[in-house]
Amino acid sequence: MRITGHHPLWHPLWHPVLRIAAAVLGGYAFTWGFIAFGMASLFALGMPFHDAEHLTAIIGVAVYLALLLWAFAARSLVRVWIVAAGGAGLMAGAASLIQNHLT
Amino acid sequence: MFQSVRLSMAWLHTWFGLVLGFVLMVVFFFGALSVFDREIDRWAVPQSRFEPQPMPSFDMVLRPVFESMQPTREAIADMAPRVNGPMPQTYTAIDRMGAYTTHRDPVLELFIGFDVPGAKDPEEALWAYRTIDPRTGASLPDDRLKIGSEFFYPLHYSLNLHWRDAGTWIVGAAAMAMLAALVSGVVMHRKIFREFFTFRPDKTIQRSVLDLHNLTGVVALPFHFFFAFTGLVIFAGIYFPVGHTQLDPLHQLSERLEAAETGLPHERAGVPAPIASVDAMVAEAQRRWHARGMAGEVGFLTLQHVGDANGYVSVYRAGTDRIALTGEGIHFKASTGELLREDPAPGAVGSVNEFLTGLHLQHFRHWLLRWLYVLGGLTGCVCIATGFIFFVEKRKRQHAKQGIQGARLVDALAVTTVTGMVVATLCLLIANKLLPDALPGGWPPRGDLERYAFWGGWLLAFVHALLRSAPVAAGRLSPAWAEQCRAIALLAPLAVLLNWIMTGDHLLRTLAAHYWPVAGLDLCLLASAALALLAARRLKRRASAAPALDTVKTGVTHA
Repeated sequence: MRITGHHPLWHPLWHPVLRIAAAVLGGYAFTWGFIAFGMASLFALGMPFHDAEHLTAIIGVAVYLALLLWAFAARSLVRVWIVAAGGAGLMAGAASLIQNHLT
Repeated sequence: MFQSVRLSMAWLHTWFGLVLGFVLMVVFFFGALSVFDREIDRWAVPQSRFEPQPMPSFDMVLRPVFESMQPTREAIADMAPRVNGPMPQTYTAIDRMGAYTTHRDPVLELFIGFDVPGAKDPEEALWAYRTIDPRTGASLPDDRLKIGSEFFYPLHYSLNLHWRDAGTWIVGAAAMAMLAALVSGVVMHRKIFREFFTFRPDKTIQRSVLDLHNLTGVVALPFHFFFAFTGLVIFAGIYFPVGHTQLDPLHQLSERLEAAETGLPHERAGVPAPIASVDAMVAEAQRRWHARGMAGEVGFLTLQHVGDANGYVSVYRAGTDRIALTGEGIHFKASTGELLREDPAPGAVGSVNEFLTGLHLQHFRHWLLRWLYVLGGLTGCVCIATGFIFFVEKRKRQHAKQGIQGARLVDALAVTTVTGMVVATLCLLIANKLLPDALPGGWPPRGDLERYAFWGGWLLAFVHALLRSAPVAAGRLSPAWAEQCRAIALLAPLAVLLNWIMTGDHLLRTLAAHYWPVAGLDLCLLASAALALLAARRLKRRASAAPALDTVKTGVTHA
């Protein structure tokens, strides 16, 4: 995925599209996973539900921003997709497991 | 894709900033106006031009109004698809009702949520609203648009596009882009400290506009970052509805635990019960606040499960002197007035959340900060607008040579979102004053016509900007900028004049009476007109003095 030596705007259209999708959609999925996992685990640790919701939302915005920027700055787009999709799946799955355990 | 992090950030800054910048202009401008939303309401609805009032007596004033409230036909029709079976024509089972007021509200809006038999989501209520004069309980005409709080404010966070919260999602994307643009903007520019003090208005448009873009971006960076960030936090429940989807079972569990812990019933008992004197409960709540050394007014009053044995009354203290919107809730059993619970002080997370959202929404009393918010919002507009102009200036000669229409289109859109947005706003204010009090039968509601004036005015500004954009494709300045500035200089004083003619409240009278909600808006309109006239003149001078082609060398890498 590493292409160098050209002006960025000269690349085929699909490259920025994949990059933007990784940043926006991948970042969203990762943040969803982060918030779900954070809410479930903090609630399990005894924090009130809405406090957990607020805290993970506040940190979640920062997480989304960081992933969004990293998706553009990173050299390897594959790595971005692995971290975003993989992280999203793992964290969301863990959140559901914790929920099943508690309810 | 990019040779360096700096180039990747420059690409992100340029393209995300351009595409979502048009939305951000709307968010910043109407956010700045929303700081004075309740004051703009006074200008728009002459019947509401009196001093702010405390929460009136429930037993004497509010109760009879609540008892007369029913949902509108539109609201009933709107909910029908989400209900199994036919919709009743009258509603009696009240799930929740109440009122919220601040130190800036003369009139009071009451809300009531009816239970609807057969609702697919049993938690969903059918809402009705009524605005009253709290001194008498008399209802205000409900077809009047509260331009500040019902139009500008929701425009700020939802673009007034309510279908599936689409507008709120677009604004959220724009806020995210704003955060990304701020960070990437800092990464792009290494000499950030020097840019703090650099503005060369006498250089070429491209150079001075970039100076101004950097200056406004850097000066107001903490302000812009804070507002974009907290805006996202406020609507996090819409953007990430985790607690209502994936973790809904956990949410339900927590609500049952919470109801058990607080003693506030989560469900109706199904046994009818009368309502005791709510005024006595309010007096008891105020006595308890006073005993805690924080005497205050009621900001929020609600009744849950109305008319049921499980019904309870919640009284919240107005946050006039603190950042949280309301607080110190005290809850009473509705049928007896017996104290059920006093909310404990919020924990660390709750306090941080109240601080972040409360500082964004600013319902507390601090007029200097209020004006700084307006200034910060307008600085954001300058930052975004100069970003557009820089984009166009950098490319228009190149595009002119290559015969590309890109710079021309961006310039027309920039005219539409900068001057066109002000024109649309003025059309709304003028329509508000020109429309007769009573419209002929068969006409749309008055408030709807006012909205059409806004969108119609904006559409006209867009068409005008497009029609006059040809010179940009030849590398020159679009005359639409100056022409719309002149339109603003004409329309803004017209709005002031119409306010005088239709309501009798001219500036000498409102200033003498210190009635700032109306005087302030009139003065701001006149100031806008003066500024627009100045801008039109300078644009004219620029246009006549501009060389056909000037070669510009800038030392900054800026895509």
